[in-house]
Amino acid sequence: MNRVRERNESAWLLPKGPGSNLRLREDMRRYGETDEVDMVIVGCGAGGSTLLQRLARAGWRAVALDAGPFWEPERDWVSDEAGSHHLYWTEPRVISGTDPVPLGSNNSGRGVGGSMVHFAGYTPRFHPSDFRTFSTDGVGADWPLDYADLRPYYEDVEAELPVAGEHWPWGDPHGYPHRPHPVSGNGELFLRGANACGVTAKVGPVAIANGRFGNRPHCIYRGFCLQGCKVNAKASPLITHVPDALAHGAEIRPDSMATRICFDEHSGLATGVEYVQGGVTRFQRARMVAVAGYSIETPRLLLNCTSPRFPDGMCNDFDQVGRYLMVQGAPQTAGRFQAEVRMWKAPPPEVSTEDFYETDPTKPYKRGFSIQCVSPLPITWAEHVAAQGHWGPTLRRYMSDYPHWACLGALCEFLPLEENRVTLADETDRHGIPVARFSYSQCDNDRQLMSAAQQVMEKILTAAGAEEVITINRYAHLVGGARMAATQEDGVVDRNCRSFAVPNLLVTDGSVLPTQGSANPALTIMALAARAARVLVQGARRGAPMSAKED
Amino acid sequence: MSSLPLETSDGGGRYPGFSTLAQAGHWDRATAAVVESRLGMPPDVRFFTPQEEAAARALLDLLLGQQGEPRVPVVNMVDARLAEEQTDGWHYDNMPRDGEAWRATLAALDSEARSRAGCTFARLDPNQQAGLLQDICNLDRELWHGLPADRVWSLWTRYACTAFYSHPLAWDEIGFGGPAYPRGYKNLGVDRLEPFEVRDVRPGADPTHGADR
Repeated sequence: MNRVRERNESAWLLPKGPGSNLRLREDMRRYGETDEVDMVIVGCGAGGSTLLQRLARAGWRAVALDAGPFWEPERDWVSDEAGSHHLYWTEPRVISGTDPVPLGSNNSGRGVGGSMVHFAGYTPRFHPSDFRTFSTDGVGADWPLDYADLRPYYEDVEAELPVAGEHWPWGDPHGYPHRPHPVSGNGELFLRGANACGVTAKVGPVAIANGRFGNRPHCIYRGFCLQGCKVNAKASPLITHVPDALAHGAEIRPDSMATRICFDEHSGLATGVEYVQGGVTRFQRARMVAVAGYSIETPRLLLNCTSPRFPDGMCNDFDQVGRYLMVQGAPQTAGRFQAEVRMWKAPPPEVSTEDFYETDPTKPYKRGFSIQCVSPLPITWAEHVAAQGHWGPTLRRYMSDYPHWACLGALCEFLPLEENRVTLADETDRHGIPVARFSYSQCDNDRQLMSAAQQVMEKILTAAGAEEVITINRYAHLVGGARMAATQEDGVVDRNCRSFAVPNLLVTDGSVLPTQGSANPALTIMALAARAARVLVQGARRGAPMSAKED
Repeated sequence: MSSLPLETSDGGGRYPGFSTLAQAGHWDRATAAVVESRLGMPPDVRFFTPQEEAAARALLDLLLGQQGEPRVPVVNMVDARLAEEQTDGWHYDNMPRDGEAWRATLAALDSEARSRAGCTFARLDPNQQAGLLQDICNLDRELWHGLPADRVWSLWTRYACTAFYSHPLAWDEIGFGGPAYPRGYKNLGVDRLEPFEVRDVRPGADPTHGADR
C-alpha cells in the first residue's frame, strides 16, 4: 500500500471521508497562455488524467483542458437518477447506420473524471488473446503490442484505483489488491444460477476499495454508482489521479472546449490547442499535444482540424480517422423471482463470468462475450419494461413488481468494421463547429453473439429459480476511431499512442483500441495512457518531438 | 401528499405504508433539493403550444396509466426538459432533434385522430385514444406520418418514464427506497430488508402471468 502512495498519493490528498481537496485546486499551478508548456491534454477522463498525473510526477509542465466542470461531488452529484443528467455529454450528434447507437448517457462523459465518474466500476483486464484476434481467429485486428507489454501497467493501475475481486482465473490469471465485496441479492442469484449450470462466476473485479484506502472511506452499498460516487469509495480519475497531478504542478482548466489543434506547416508539428472558455477563444502553446476526448470527440476534433497539409483532417492521410469505432452489444436479461431481490441495493457491479470470452470452436461465431450483474434503477428499469411493448396500466403493474427482479448484462465483442465510423455532419454546435455523425451497422457475427449471450443469461437466471425472463438489446462502451496500428496505412497512432502523421501529437484515450474484447475498457485505457507516459518520460532527454518511434 | 391512485389489479397497494419521502431526513442536502423540487408547483408549460399541450397531456397520461388525482405532472416535466433543451443531444438521422420531433409527432397524433374521428387526439374518447396508440406501437419499424414508428414510440416512452419514475410517489408504488446517501444499505442479499423497507404483500403477483388480474 505504501508503495502505491509513493507513486500516486491521490487517496491521501483527499480529505478524510467524502468531499474534495478544494485547497489543492485553489493552489493549483497556473501557466500563462504564452508559456510553452511541455504537454497540453484535451480531455480529463481515464486516458487524459492518467497521462497528466504521470507527466506531472516526472516534472513535465502539463495542462489539461476539459469541456465540462471540475466536479465537487458533495455539491454537484445526487443520489438520484433523473438528477444526474449533467454527468453526460449532451452536445448535438447525429446517429445513423442500420443499427444506430444512442449516445449521450452511459457511453459518454463530461467534466473532470470523464465517464468513469458514472461508470459502474467494472475493471477487468483484456485477455492475451485480445491482442492478436486477426492472427488467431481471422477476425478483428492484431495490436501493435502484446498483453505482456501492458501487464505491468495493469498491475500499477489496479493498485491505484484500487480493484477488489476474487482471484481471477481467466485470461492471464491474477489476483487483486483488495478482497471481494459482499454481494447483494442480484449477485447472490447470479452465483447460484451459474453454479447450478456449471458456469464459473467470480465476485469482481470492481474499482471500489474494500476497506479504507488512504483517506477514501469504505463503500456504503447505496447502489448509485452510475450517478457518481459521493462517498469517494468508487474510483474515478477525479479522485485517483487528479489530486496527485495537481500536487505535482499540473494545471486543469475546466469548462474549456477544445476547438482546434494548431499546426505549423513549416515544421510539421502541433503548436498547441485553441479552446473556448466562457465564450472567449484562447490558445495554449505546447511542445506536445495529447487528445483524449474519447471515441466520438477525438475523431471529430481531428477531422475538424483541416489545413493545407491535412485537407481531410489532421492525421487522416490514409482515411483512418474515425474508422473502426466499436460498441459492445450489451443485451440485458432480467429474471422474475418470488423472493425479493431488491437489485438496486448495493453497487451494480458485483459478479462476472468470462467463461465465454474466447472463440469456441464448436460455435458458428468468433470471439465471445462476458456476463456481469447490472442493477437498473427505476427509470432505466422502466425503459427495460417499456421496451417489451408494455405501456399504461400494464407498465405500472410490471413496475410494481420491481423488487422481484434480478438483472444480468452481457458485453459482446462486436468486431471492428471499417464503415463503423465518425464523420462530420452538416449540423454545427453552438461554437459553429460541425458535429459528429456516428454510423453503426452490425455484422452477422455481432448478431450471433447477442443471441448466444441472451441464451446463456436466460439459462443462468432460470437455473437460479427465475419464473420468467425478459431481455432488451442495448449497447455499452465506445472504443476505436483513431486506432493504433503497426503501420500508418492501418491506423492513426503507433504502439506508443503517438500519431504517425504529426510526431508531437498523441491520442491517449479509448479511441486507440484496435479491438475491444468483452471487457469494460476503462482499465485498459488507463494502462495504455500510463504506458504512453512512461515512453514519453524515458524519451524526454532525447528531444521528444522528433524521436524515433521505438520504445 | 397521499399515494397515486392505482387499482389493486394494476399493482396498487403492494407496499402498504411505505413512503420514500418519510426517509427524507436521511438524505444529503443536494439530493433532497433535487428530489423535493419535483413536489412543489410544477413549472408552467412554455415549450408546447396549447394544441400540443392538449395532445401531450392525453398521450402521456395514457402511456403512464394516470387517470385520476393526484398525478405526477408529467406534461410539465417533459415540457421543461424540452424548453431547457435537456436532451441527450443525439438524434437519429431520419428523425429531427427531440424538440422538433415532439412537435411533429403531437401534430401527427391530432391529424391521425381527425382522419379517424374528426376531432383532435385530446377529444377522442379514452378507448379510441388507447386503440390509436396501440396501432402505432404495433407498427414497429414502419413509417408513421413520415417517421419510423418504433423511434417515435421510443421518444415518447423515454420521456414519459424518465419523468414519472423520478417522482417519489411513483417510487412508493414500486417499493423503491429512493436516495440512499449518506445512510447506504446494510442488509444485502435475497429477501433481506432494511428496517425501513416494506415487504411486498402480494409476492405472487407476477405481471408476466397476469396473476393479478
